[in-house]
Amino acid sequence: MTALGRGLLAAAMVTLPFWLADPYYLHVVIMAGIFGVLALSLNLLLGYAGQLSLGHAAFFGIGAYTSALLTLKREWSFWPALAAAIALAAAAGWIIGRLALKLRGAYFVLVTISFAGVISLVSVNWIELTNGPLGLPGVPAPDLGPWSLRTKAAYYYLVLAAVALSYAVCRRLVRSRIGRAFVALRENEPLAESIGVDVTHYLVLAAVVSAAMAGLGGSLYAHYTRFVSPEVFLFTYTVTMVIMVVAGGKGTLAGPLVGAVLFTALPEALRLAASWQWQMLAYGSLLVLLVFFLPRGIVPQIVASFSGHPRSAPTSRTPLQ
Amino acid sequence: MDQLLQHLVNGLVLGGTYALLGIGLTLIFGLMNVVNFAHGEFYTLGAYVAFAALTLAGVNFIVGILAAIVAGAALGWLCEVTLLRPLRNESIDTTMLVMIGVWIAMQNGELLVWGGVAKSIPHPFPTAPLVMGPVAIAPLRVIVLVLAVGLIASSWLLIHQTKLGRAMRATFQDRDTAALMGVSIGRVHAATFAFGSALASAAGALLGPVFLAYPSMGDLASLKAFSVVILGGLGNLTGATVGGLLLGIAEELGAGYISSGYRDAVGFVIIIMVLVLRPSGLFARQERIG
Amino acid sequence: MGKRSIVLVALVLVALAALTVPGASQAPLKIGVIQPLSGPVAASGNYIRMGAEIARDWINARGGIAGRKVDLLIEDNKSDPKEAASAAEKLIVRDKVPVIMGAWGSSMTLAAMPKLEEYGVPMVVETSSAASITKRGNPWIFRISPPSEMEALGLEQYVDKLGVKRVDFLAVNTDWGRGAISAFGDMLQKKGAAVGAKEFMDQSATDMNAQLTKIKATGGDTLFLTTAVEQITLVMKQAQEQRLGRKIVTTGGSSSPTQLIKQAGAAAEGSYHIVFFMPWFPEAMPDGKLAKAFVDEWAKRGHPFEGLTEGFRGHDGIATIAEAIKVAGKDEAAAIRDALWKVSLMGVNGPIKFEKDGPAGKESGQSKPSIFVVQIRDGKVALPDFLAKK
Repeated sequence: MTALGRGLLAAAMVTLPFWLADPYYLHVVIMAGIFGVLALSLNLLLGYAGQLSLGHAAFFGIGAYTSALLTLKREWSFWPALAAAIALAAAAGWIIGRLALKLRGAYFVLVTISFAGVISLVSVNWIELTNGPLGLPGVPAPDLGPWSLRTKAAYYYLVLAAVALSYAVCRRLVRSRIGRAFVALRENEPLAESIGVDVTHYLVLAAVVSAAMAGLGGSLYAHYTRFVSPEVFLFTYTVTMVIMVVAGGKGTLAGPLVGAVLFTALPEALRLAASWQWQMLAYGSLLVLLVFFLPRGIVPQIVASFSGHPRSAPTSRTPLQ
Repeated sequence: MDQLLQHLVNGLVLGGTYALLGIGLTLIFGLMNVVNFAHGEFYTLGAYVAFAALTLAGVNFIVGILAAIVAGAALGWLCEVTLLRPLRNESIDTTMLVMIGVWIAMQNGELLVWGGVAKSIPHPFPTAPLVMGPVAIAPLRVIVLVLAVGLIASSWLLIHQTKLGRAMRATFQDRDTAALMGVSIGRVHAATFAFGSALASAAGALLGPVFLAYPSMGDLASLKAFSVVILGGLGNLTGATVGGLLLGIAEELGAGYISSGYRDAVGFVIIIMVLVLRPSGLFARQERIG
Repeated sequence: MGKRSIVLVALVLVALAALTVPGASQAPLKIGVIQPLSGPVAASGNYIRMGAEIARDWINARGGIAGRKVDLLIEDNKSDPKEAASAAEKLIVRDKVPVIMGAWGSSMTLAAMPKLEEYGVPMVVETSSAASITKRGNPWIFRISPPSEMEALGLEQYVDKLGVKRVDFLAVNTDWGRGAISAFGDMLQKKGAAVGAKEFMDQSATDMNAQLTKIKATGGDTLFLTTAVEQITLVMKQAQEQRLGRKIVTTGGSSSPTQLIKQAGAAAEGSYHIVFFMPWFPEAMPDGKLAKAFVDEWAKRGHPFEGLTEGFRGHDGIATIAEAIKVAGKDEAAAIRDALWKVSLMGVNGPIKFEKDGPAGKESGQSKPSIFVVQIRDGKVALPDFLAKK
């Protein structure tokens, strides 16, 4: 993208609440932003470190519950609760990273699914802590000094800041020595190891950073919807994140964000375009078509078609074993 | 003690069905490297085909199950040829995403066709339980267990005693070498997917009458199938069989003696422990199929 | 640009075009409906939609409200709280509905509630049972379904006649199931019954043998069962296979005895069911004529009979809203909210009138629905002996 394009995009983002006044659209944009953070987070593990986490909703949910519980039961204010949500999710990421040290591909997938399953069952059954299946209604809206971020426009800026921060962290990480180590790991692990990449260290690091970002997304979600229930651990949330990353273009910085915007807008567009019987059927079919025609994701495909070499998009294979 | 025996019998019957689900998936996963989220939908398909055959066409029970097997195999074959074959050289995430799309579309297509109301599938067996001492079990469940064992045994024979099975095993060990030796990889993949889907469909037709048929029934089935695959090791038939039985019994005992709220957690914890302690599955013999 | 990019651009354009379709004409009165139309409880959500459509068509056949036709805008919450909140946002902001009926499950309703407060739009809650919904101080909530405590109190008078001495519970592991166990547990203990096992099952579970084996060992005489009809069917079949030999009482009004007779057969024989509508003998309902007309219309449309015990809620919710709009004289959210406090009408279930509930100053409305007990006897739904003799 040219400098002009970037500048225009940034200007459009910053002024968005002024020209997109309809609160429903703003709601969709905020949800897209929250899922953008989540998709960026998953992309670190899946796109760069080459490890598919199908338990990502666990980190998201841990963030949401931590933030909601601390503000509701301990009456913390939003910012320390947000920090705690990020920290606790990161700790969970560390545990998963350590547990899954020796596991790759399909086995890593299953450990993460199982971990999310256990956490989800805890949220349903540990009534004293989590209020069980009834969930936690009335999560307070965040404050910034004397201002309440209760309005949609204000919350939009909070989410925009979180997306920008996550994007910056990913970009910084990916372009550093650490990022090159991730990619080396993904492309050829034995080779990476032989040239002195500390595989264990970098995998745990990837998991921790990724989980922390998912925790951030969870906290933002809790204070936006004002309600947290065990459904935040639903497998469909993880599936949505995976769809966003892979369809957008994994292993690219912009891909997950494009995916997040597209796949948050799509169900809402279908709400308007089709009656309810056809919405999910259309969603599934469109997904199949999209992957079928753009198997490497939207962003790599666009990059490839603009550079004139349709087949030169960078490929990344996630080894199974 | 009486309770323990009943729990064990319950677990055995449940585990038999988990095994049937797991075998189909372990072949697809192990041989084709496809994380098949639509596996449970073939289970649902089987249940609905059996329902249609038994109530609308009025055929007999065994014919209903055969119809489900044929339908599962046909749709599985179609799915492989149209969707998976063109993407064979893409990454595992890409094919997984396609299967996620198939999963969502199939489930909501079923909802559209059949409606959300659960269907009860009729069966010709008596409902009064067979009683052996302290243990009671419905005749239908015994039949289901027997048929499941039969299907598992025929799968084993297919893998070990036929030319197709030999080609499948060769492909699993080393796809490129197998191709060089004249194995048609395309045909092996299509056959594997059709076979795995047919088994899932058969499981649906068998369990439909025990439980009920409804559009979202496949979600739980997929989850259990994945658990079984991991317990048994990728591509390992014996492992999937034993893994299925173990999972069924463990869940049953967990719900009986620990807490029914945490019933499914038992399965998850076992999987995590197995993976952490024995990363390639309980019964792993590296790079084998069969 | 390659072929694939063209496909991509087309997809984006379709999405954008769909987003910018202008709203429909303003003439009809809009009522928003949020129900689980796909996902595991799709059947219930769809029955409620069917009931709501009957209410709509009846109102329109009578010339609408003050000459304006009623239009239902139906959204699917996919049994996901996030979707329920999005659906509420869409209905209020894009479709400008002044009133909503929804959102089936308690967590869906709780997730939609902040939106009601944010925009000031009332919602008539037709199914949710969690006590906290009307206790939170959300003055836009009006509930016509009974919370579990109210249902338990409704059953209290029959406990001795049912002969409940030692009771076990098996419930779906949701707010509904947990709420029912605590409400009915308290009520039964107060009546002197001993409470044995309290077991749970996952919403999607199909094999409940482990729980039943455990319950069998307590030696109780009655099993209280709270879940949707599919799981009730499975529990009854499995209880029969295990020779559980208990009196079974289902709570929550979602048991659809007709479907149980069809699908569980002999396993359902003798069981008692708390219901909020008795389509088998509509004449026994508070407004027999209305109930009969509803049952007939349901049959005429080819809807399955077993859906009636859910479907009436959709009718009553929409009828309540229509009455409020009539009282308000205009379709503005605040006016409808004020009018809901004044409505007094006869629904299929019985009289609907809202009482204040929750913290003073911002109370929610709670109607006190009628509660009935029926029994499955000789493969038919009947009034229990202790009621039939009256």
